[in-house]
Amino acid sequence: MVKTISFLQALNEAMAEEMRRDPSVFVLGEDVRIGAFGQTAGLVKEFGEDRLLNTPISENAITGVAMGAAMNGHRPVLELMFCDFAMLAMDQICNQLGQWRYVTGNQYPVPMTIRTAVGGGFRMAYGHSQCLQSQLIQAPGLILVEPSTPYDAKGLLKSAIRSDDPVIVFESKKLMFGGVEGEVPEEEYTIPFGEAVVRKPGKDATVVAFGFMVYEAMTAAQELAQEDIDIEVIDPRTIVPLDKDTIFESVEKTGRLVTVEEGRMRGGLGAEIAALACGEYFSSLKAPVQRVAAPMSPIPGSPALEDLYLPNKDSIVRAVKRTL
Amino acid sequence: MPLENEKLLGLYRKMLLVRAMEEKHGSLLQEGKIQLMSHFGTGQEAVAIGVTGPLRREDILFGTHRGVGEFIGKGMSAKDIWLEYMGKKTGLCKGKGTLHLCDRNLNIPGLVSSLGSDFSYAVGMALSSKMSKTDQVTLYFVGEGTCNQGEAGPAMNMAALWNLPVVFAVCTNQFCELSYMSDHYPTEDVAPRAAGYGIPYEIVDGQDIETTYEAMEKAVEHARSGKGPYLIEYKTFRMALHFSGDPGGYVKPEDLEEWGKRDPIDLCQKKLFDRGILTGEGDKELREAVRAEVDGAVEEAFSGPDPTVEDLFEDIYAQKGVI
Repeated sequence: MVKTISFLQALNEAMAEEMRRDPSVFVLGEDVRIGAFGQTAGLVKEFGEDRLLNTPISENAITGVAMGAAMNGHRPVLELMFCDFAMLAMDQICNQLGQWRYVTGNQYPVPMTIRTAVGGGFRMAYGHSQCLQSQLIQAPGLILVEPSTPYDAKGLLKSAIRSDDPVIVFESKKLMFGGVEGEVPEEEYTIPFGEAVVRKPGKDATVVAFGFMVYEAMTAAQELAQEDIDIEVIDPRTIVPLDKDTIFESVEKTGRLVTVEEGRMRGGLGAEIAALACGEYFSSLKAPVQRVAAPMSPIPGSPALEDLYLPNKDSIVRAVKRTL
Repeated sequence: MPLENEKLLGLYRKMLLVRAMEEKHGSLLQEGKIQLMSHFGTGQEAVAIGVTGPLRREDILFGTHRGVGEFIGKGMSAKDIWLEYMGKKTGLCKGKGTLHLCDRNLNIPGLVSSLGSDFSYAVGMALSSKMSKTDQVTLYFVGEGTCNQGEAGPAMNMAALWNLPVVFAVCTNQFCELSYMSDHYPTEDVAPRAAGYGIPYEIVDGQDIETTYEAMEKAVEHARSGKGPYLIEYKTFRMALHFSGDPGGYVKPEDLEEWGKRDPIDLCQKKLFDRGILTGEGDKELREAVRAEVDGAVEEAFSGPDPTVEDLFEDIYAQKGVI
């Protein structure tokens, strides 16, 4: 049996199911009892205020509070409202969280989940719109998850909460507020980390797209099909671990690689994948790797400018054609 | 009220062990036998040993990188410390933490490098204890220098907001790294900051072991009985420089002379002699035994097994095959 739910509902259901299943799971963050964007809305009715902990506006410290609770037998799910605000918690996330298991010689694993909203399109300018996933790929010890469908959002968030590793889940605002819906099983399911999905098979070029950019890539695929260009669209679903096998099996087939992310180009996710391609799969490539990403500019608030800034289907179409 | 004879003697022995550990570390560095930099807490032993004295095994301790006092106070052995300090595979952290001591069996969850990041871990630990309805108390032991970190305020705010069983113990040793405290603070005391969060506080002498112990006993009881957080500021003096590479030259000789008159180990020794708990001969034997313990631990650590290349990539993730 399947049902159709929204991206927001998927996140909400994942938390509710895991809280029902495991009394050590609790949610904390700014205004989580109400749920500013709706991910945690209504949970307080079922689980009470003790398990929906509203915190002060202290991102670095509430991340540390979650870490402390995680080291003492709980499984916190921490909401950092915007990934831009998660930068206030970079000491905890990059210096401490991912490295704590290692530096303590496996004595203190930190089983916690951080959920944070990413992406632009809402005219909120430089500090409420960024995609900062690539800021975290340098930190060892973290699992990084970026779902693009309600099915993946629910299954991956449930896996995150059960994981004994710290997991960061990037929640796209366009997917949460854009009314994206999808089918999920009525029954319980989880999704393992490190397994990409081929969203559309194709033979001419491999397009690896993250999060909301999967939809732009699918639209680009339709447009390119009218010109008899058949692209393969891969959704890695997790940034760390990255399913290199699926990506590069595809590249071996197509010989062409385009990476697509909403974050900025320099040192981005695409840069990492391009480096892997050059270092390990160079002989498979028939053309230079193309990266689609945002430019190295702050995000402008003006609708006219933000639309120029954000990568979209047109930039993907152009990039694919450059590889052919 | 004086502490029981056995208790006082036990605390004295621990203070001697702390000082012997640090003296050994200093001489090993001088002889070029190890590289691990040191941050000694010479003169602060009554604070470190006094604050950890009233803790139970299940209570949580966050300590500092200044010496080994609070870790020995909580029960860590000289041998375990040296195995980890020397980065051995059989160290508490399998040699991956070195100066970042951690011992799950003693409820010591580790030590951060960037000072004050763990202020909030103490609060999270205490939150977890309260949610689990245990009577576990968390002690956050910290220097006054670290109390200027951004984490201090939010951590105390949440500890008070949620009425958590956490005790903050501030060891005011008059120095923040290579500066006098007066270069960093507009006030003489740190503790009154707690009042801004509605946390009760006390300022006490850090040289007398009975005073340090009893103040903490009261604070721990306060936290354990559900009355929420408590802060104690201990006034002491760091007789050592900040770290082993410290160029020095900034400590006033008159301060060293003045505070040296109230050395915590000397003060405790006098009490033990006056109360007939220890004789001069017994003291000599005790000090020799402590030194032998440290020497034995160092010797054993030197011959301990080094981790190997397989260990480099162990314990990063629970999930296999991520890296």
